[in-house]
Amino acid sequence: MDKGAAAGTIDRNADIPGSANQPLLQVRDLHTHFFTESGIVKAVNGVSFEIQRGERLAIVGESGSGKSAMAMSLIQLIAYPGKLVSGSVRLDGKELVGLSEAELNKLRGSAIGTVFQDPMTSLDPVMTIEEQMVLPIRKHLKLGSKEARKHALGLLNQVGIPDADKRISSYPFEMSGGMRQRVMIAMALSCKPKLILADEPTTALDVTIQAQIVELLKTLTETTGSAMMFITHDLGLVARFAQKVAVMYAGKIVEYGTVDEIFNSPRHPYTQSLLKTIPSVSGEKRVRLLQIQGFPPDMKLPIIGCSYKERCPAASERCNNDSPELMPRQGRQLAACWLKNGLMTEGYESITTQLSRGELNALTKQERVNTADAAGVITTERSALPVGANEGDATRINAFVADDANIVLQITDLHKHFKKTSMLPWKKDSEIRAVNGISFKLRRGETIGIVGESGCGKSTTARMLLKLDEPTGGRIELNGNIQIVFQDPYSSFNPKMKIAEIISEPLDVRKIGTKEEKQLIVRELIQKVGLDPSYLERYPSQLSGGQRQRIGVARALALNPTVVVADEPTSALDVSVRAQIINLLCDLKEELKLSFVFISHDLSTVRYISDKIAVMYLGEIVEYGAAEEIFVNPAHPYTKALLAAVPVPDPKIEASRSIELLKGELPSPAAPPAGCAFSSRCPQVTVLCTERKPALQEYLERREVACHAVS
Amino acid sequence: MTNSKGYADRNQYGKDSCLHEAVFFSQNEEEEGLNVKQEAVAGTIGQPIAPAQPRIQISYMRFLYVNKNAKWAMLILLPILLLAFLAPALPLQAPLESNIRASLNAPSLEHPFGTDKLGRDVLSRTLSGIKVSLFVGFSVALIALAFGIVLGTVSGFFGKTTDRMIMGVVDIFLAFPSLLLAIGLVAILGAGTVPVICAIALSDVPRFIRLQRSLVLSLKSRTYIDAARTVQAPQIWLMAKHIVPNTIAPLLVAASIASANAILIEASLSFLGLGILPPEPSLGNIIKDGQMYLQQAWWISTLPGAVILLIAISLHFLSDGIREELDPRARK
Amino acid sequence: MLSYAIKRVMQLIVTMFGVVTLVFFAIRMIPGDPAAAMAGDNLSGAALEEFRQRLGLDAPLWQQYTDYIQSVARFDFGSTITTSLPIAGLMLKALPITLMVAGLTVLLSVLIAIPLGTLAAFLANKGKKKLDNAITWTAMVVDLMPAFWTALLLMLFLSLNLRLLPASGTVSLEDPMLMLKRIALPVLVLAISQVATLARITRTAVLEVLNEDYVRTARSLGMSEIAVVFRHALKNAMLPIITVVGLSFGNLLNGTVIVEFIFSIPGIGTLLVYGINSRDYPLVQNVILFYAFVFVAINFITDIIYKKVDPRVQF
Repeated sequence: MDKGAAAGTIDRNADIPGSANQPLLQVRDLHTHFFTESGIVKAVNGVSFEIQRGERLAIVGESGSGKSAMAMSLIQLIAYPGKLVSGSVRLDGKELVGLSEAELNKLRGSAIGTVFQDPMTSLDPVMTIEEQMVLPIRKHLKLGSKEARKHALGLLNQVGIPDADKRISSYPFEMSGGMRQRVMIAMALSCKPKLILADEPTTALDVTIQAQIVELLKTLTETTGSAMMFITHDLGLVARFAQKVAVMYAGKIVEYGTVDEIFNSPRHPYTQSLLKTIPSVSGEKRVRLLQIQGFPPDMKLPIIGCSYKERCPAASERCNNDSPELMPRQGRQLAACWLKNGLMTEGYESITTQLSRGELNALTKQERVNTADAAGVITTERSALPVGANEGDATRINAFVADDANIVLQITDLHKHFKKTSMLPWKKDSEIRAVNGISFKLRRGETIGIVGESGCGKSTTARMLLKLDEPTGGRIELNGNIQIVFQDPYSSFNPKMKIAEIISEPLDVRKIGTKEEKQLIVRELIQKVGLDPSYLERYPSQLSGGQRQRIGVARALALNPTVVVADEPTSALDVSVRAQIINLLCDLKEELKLSFVFISHDLSTVRYISDKIAVMYLGEIVEYGAAEEIFVNPAHPYTKALLAAVPVPDPKIEASRSIELLKGELPSPAAPPAGCAFSSRCPQVTVLCTERKPALQEYLERREVACHAVS
Repeated sequence: MTNSKGYADRNQYGKDSCLHEAVFFSQNEEEEGLNVKQEAVAGTIGQPIAPAQPRIQISYMRFLYVNKNAKWAMLILLPILLLAFLAPALPLQAPLESNIRASLNAPSLEHPFGTDKLGRDVLSRTLSGIKVSLFVGFSVALIALAFGIVLGTVSGFFGKTTDRMIMGVVDIFLAFPSLLLAIGLVAILGAGTVPVICAIALSDVPRFIRLQRSLVLSLKSRTYIDAARTVQAPQIWLMAKHIVPNTIAPLLVAASIASANAILIEASLSFLGLGILPPEPSLGNIIKDGQMYLQQAWWISTLPGAVILLIAISLHFLSDGIREELDPRARK
Repeated sequence: MLSYAIKRVMQLIVTMFGVVTLVFFAIRMIPGDPAAAMAGDNLSGAALEEFRQRLGLDAPLWQQYTDYIQSVARFDFGSTITTSLPIAGLMLKALPITLMVAGLTVLLSVLIAIPLGTLAAFLANKGKKKLDNAITWTAMVVDLMPAFWTALLLMLFLSLNLRLLPASGTVSLEDPMLMLKRIALPVLVLAISQVATLARITRTAVLEVLNEDYVRTARSLGMSEIAVVFRHALKNAMLPIITVVGLSFGNLLNGTVIVEFIFSIPGIGTLLVYGINSRDYPLVQNVILFYAFVFVAINFITDIIYKKVDPRVQF
C-alpha cells in the first residue's frame, strides 16, 4: 500500500525541515471513492499531508470538496458505497490501511478521537450519557465499571459540564446543543487520544456557544498535547484556531501552509479568491465582494488537468492538460498551481489589480446589465403596463417622500406570545414570549440588520412582518408592499412548479397582467437577478443553490415591493456563492431603492449590507442604531460578547484579541430570567439587573441601548 | 454547507415498502408524514452543486419504461392483462362450460391449468377471475383515492371541528381489521362483485383519508406555502396549486398497494364463500373449489393462487417504482 | 405523559363507543326487513313477529340502541338465533384456541423475524447486496402470498404428501401435545407471513438507524459491529418495530379467520364464518365487535409501550 511514497510530492514533503522527528500522522496519496449507481465519485483523489504532535491543522473547503470523506478515511469509517481505494495512513509510524476491523477498533476512540458536526444527532437518543461513555472507556482503558464511571465524570468536568454527576445519567434530549457537543468532546477525549478529528464541530451551534466550544478545544489540545485536525468552511474559525491550514478543492489539497502564510500570502488562485469572497468585519466597508464564477467539477467525471481551471481567471493551456501537484513555495507553503504565485504572479497584473480592488466580478455585473439591455424593449414596455397597483404604490410613495419622513416600515411595540395550554387542569399554561415589545423604523432604501442567536425572535418578527403570524400586540405600519427571500430557497419552491410559474405566482395570485404581459415581467425579473431566461423552463431541482436563491430574489421582486425581508438568505449557501447573493442584493438595493430587513446570525454579512442594526436577545432589542457605530463601538454587553465571539478571518487580529466568553447557555424563552433578560449571562451584572428590566434608552447619537450599566 | 456524506446516497436500497406501509396503515399520528419527508429531499442529496440535473419530475409514460421496478411491474402485469382480455379469442373452453368426461384432468396442452371436477378449464376460469380481481382492485383504489383526496384534504387543511369529526369516524372504521370489516359488510350487503368492492373500499377509504390528511398537514407547514401566503394567496389556491399536486404521487404509491390488498381480500372473501359466488369464477372461489381435490388435483388450487401472487408482486413493484421516482435516496 | 395517557384513553373510549354504535346500526342497515333476513325463508306471519319480538327488533330504535349498549357493557352478547346458545359462552370456549394460535404465531415470528431483518440490514449496510437482496426478495414474495393459498400449499406438502402434520381432526385443550400438533400447520401458515412482514420492517428500521449519526459516533469510539448493532441499532429500531408489530396484529387477526376455516379449528374465526353462513346476525355482530375491541386494545397497548420505551417522552 505504500506505492504513493514514490510520488514526487512525497519526496519533497520528506525534505521539509522538522519532519526528522517523525510526524504524528502521515497521509500519502489517499484515494477514497464512492461507488454509486450513477458512477464513481472520486471524493478523495490523492491527498497527502502530515500532522505533527500537538498541532492543529484546519482543512478548509466547500461542500463536496471531499473534506469529510477524507477525515472519515483516516479512521476508515466510510459509509457504504464509499471505499478507501488506495493510499497510506500512518499514525506514529504505524500503517493503518490494511488493518483488520478489530485492530482499527482498538485505535478508534483511543488513539484517535472524533467529534462530529451535529451534536443533536450524534448521540444515541435512547441511551444515557453514562451508557454511551462508559463502555468505550472500559474497553480501551480496561477499567472496571466504577472506575470507568469515575473517569467519565472527570472528563465531563474537564469539558465544563456543570453537575457532571447528575448530568451523566441524563439522556441527550435533556441537554442543549452546546452541552451535547461538550459531551461529544468528552467522549472523543476519553482515552487520551494522540489525534482528534473534528468535523465542523461548531457549525450547528450559536455564535456565543461556538466561541465557548472553540476555546474549550483550544485549551484541551494545549493541555493534553493532542493534535487536532478540524474541518471547517469558516475562514474566521481557521484564523482563530489553526496553526496549519490545508485547502481542499475537488478531492485534493490545493494549498497547504501555516495559518499566516495562507491568510497573508495565499499562492493558489482558489485560496486567493476565497479570501476575497468574505466581507471583512473590520476595515473598509462595501468593497464589492469577489465572486468565484462557475461550479466545482462533477466528481463523477475524470478531471483532466487542473481541477480549478474552469473557474480560474489565470488558466492557461498547460492547466487544461497537466494537473499541477503540490509544489513548495516559500517556507513550508505548498500550492498546486503552475503559476508561482497564483493570480499574483508577474504577467498577470491585470487580474491582480482587479482582484485587489475586488472588481473581477464587475464583468458579471456588466453582463447582467447587458442582458437586461438586450431586453430593453421589455423594460420600457413593462413600465407602460396597466398595472394599477404598482402605479398607485408609486404615487403613494411620492406623497410620502414629500412628507420628508420617507418611512416605509414602522413597527411599534410588537409582541408575539405563544401560549401553550396543558390538558391537565392543575398545570399552569406556559407562555413563550418570542417577541416581546420591539420597535423600529425603516426608511426608503435603507437596510436594517436584525442579529441575534437562535430563539431571539428574529424569525418570528419576520413572519409577523409578512402577516404569516398574527402579532399578539403592537402595530406594523407598512407603506407599500413587503416580500421575503427565504433562508432555504429549495424548500421555498413547490417542486412541481417550473421556475417561470414560481416567479409569476405572485402575479397570478393578484391577477396582474395578461398571460403575455406576465411572461415579459418574468423574463425581465430573471434577467434582473442575473440568470438566463432559459432557466424559466427548468424545475427547482435542476438548479444549483445559488441559482435557486436568485430565483427566490426574483420572486420577491415580482410585486415591486418597497420592503424585502431577507431571512438568513445566505446561510444555506457555500462561501463562494454567498458573495454572489450579497452582491446581488446590494445591486438591487441601489437600482430599485429597496429597503431591506436583513435577518442573520452572520455578523460580517450583516455589517456589510446594513445601515442600521438591531441586536435582539430573548425577544427584545437590546441595542439599536447605526451599523458602523455598533460594530466599532458596541455598548451593550451582549453586543460586545457577540462581536467578540465571531471569529475574524485574519490570524493577526485573532491572535491579538483577548476573547471574553459569555458564561452559560441561552435561557429558554419560556422561562426568561427576571429583570434584564441578559442578566443570567452578563459579565457586568448587578443586583439591579436581576430586579428591574432596563428600557431601551438613547445612547450617544443615533443609538439606543437597553442596559443599566450603559447611560 | 451540506455535509459531504451526502455522496453516500443514504439508505441505498429503498426497496422496502414496509415502513411506508406502516405509515400508510398507521394509527399513530407521530409516525405519519414520513413519506413526505422522503419526497422533500429530492434533488438536495447526491449532487454537490450540479449545474443542471434532469428528471425528478415524473413523466408517467416515460417512467413506466425507464424505472427498473416499474418495468418489472409492466413485464408481469401486461401479459396477464392481455391474456385476461383476449381470453374469449383464445382456443380455450369457455369458463362456465363443463365437460364431465374431462373431470380433474392434469395440465396439458389442451388445458394448460388442467380441469376441475366438473371438467371446466381452469385456465379459462382463472383468466376470467383475473378480470374480476383487477376490476375489484382498481375500483377499490379509485374509490379510496377519490374519497381520500377530498375528505383528507378538507380534514387536514381546515383542521379544528371538521378535522375532529372526520377523523373520529375514520378512527372507528380503522378499529376493524380490514378483512373482518369486509366480512361484516358482505354479510350485510350480500355476496357479489359490487358489494365486495364496497366492502373493501370502506376499509380502505379511512386509510386514504388518514394518509392524505397527514400529507396535507406536513405540506401545510412547507416554506412554499408560506411563500404563497405572503402574497395573500387564497386558501383554495394553496390547496389546488401547492398541496394537492404534491400529494398525488405518494397517494399513487399507496393506491397501488391498496389495489394489491383489495385483490387479496377479494380472493379471501371468495375463498370463504362470502365474496363472488360460483358459478361465476373468481380466483378465490376457484381455489376453494380445488381445496376438496387437493390431493388428486393440486393444479386447481395452486395455479390460480400463483397468479394472485404474481399480480400482487407486480403492483408492489409499481409502488416501489413510484416511490423511487419520488425519493432519490431510494434509487438504486 | 399523563396528559398524553388521558388523551389516549379518552380517544380509546370514544372509538370503542363508535365501534359499538357502528356495529349496532350496521345490522339495521340490512336491506328490507332485518328480522326477515335473519330468519331466512322459513318464518312468516305471526312466527316472524314473535321472532322479531325475541330479538327486540320491535322496540323503538333508540331503545334497542341503549339496550344494546347496556348489554355490551355487561358482556352479555345475547344468544344465537339458530341454536339459542349464549354467544358469550361460545366465544369464551373458542377464545383460548384462537389465542393460542395467535400467541404462538407472534412468539415464533418475533423470534425469527427480528434477527433475520437485522441481519439483512447489517448486510445492506456493509454493501453485501446479494445476500441482502436474497432475504428481502424472499420476504417480499412470501409477504404477498395469500394466506389461504400458503395454507393449501403447506397442507398439500406437509400433511397430504409427507404426512408430517395433521390437517384435520379434533381440537381439544385436554391433550396439549395433540393440540400442539394440530395447530402446528395453522401457526406455520400465519407465522410465515408474519415473519416476512416483520423481517422487512426490521430491516428497514435497522438500516435507517445504521445510517444515523450516533451509530457513526459509536463506531468512531471503537465499538465492535456487534455492539453497534445490538446496543444502538436494535434498541433504536425497536420503536418503529413495536408500532408495526401492533399494526400487523390486524393482519394476524384476518389470518386467524382464514386458517381456522381451512384447518377447521373451532376458534373465534370459525364461529364467525359459521355465523355468516347460517345468517346468525347477532353472532356475527358480536364476533366482529370482539375482534375490533381486541384490535383497538392491542394498538392502545403498543402505543403505550412505545411511549415507555422512548425516553424522550416525559412522565
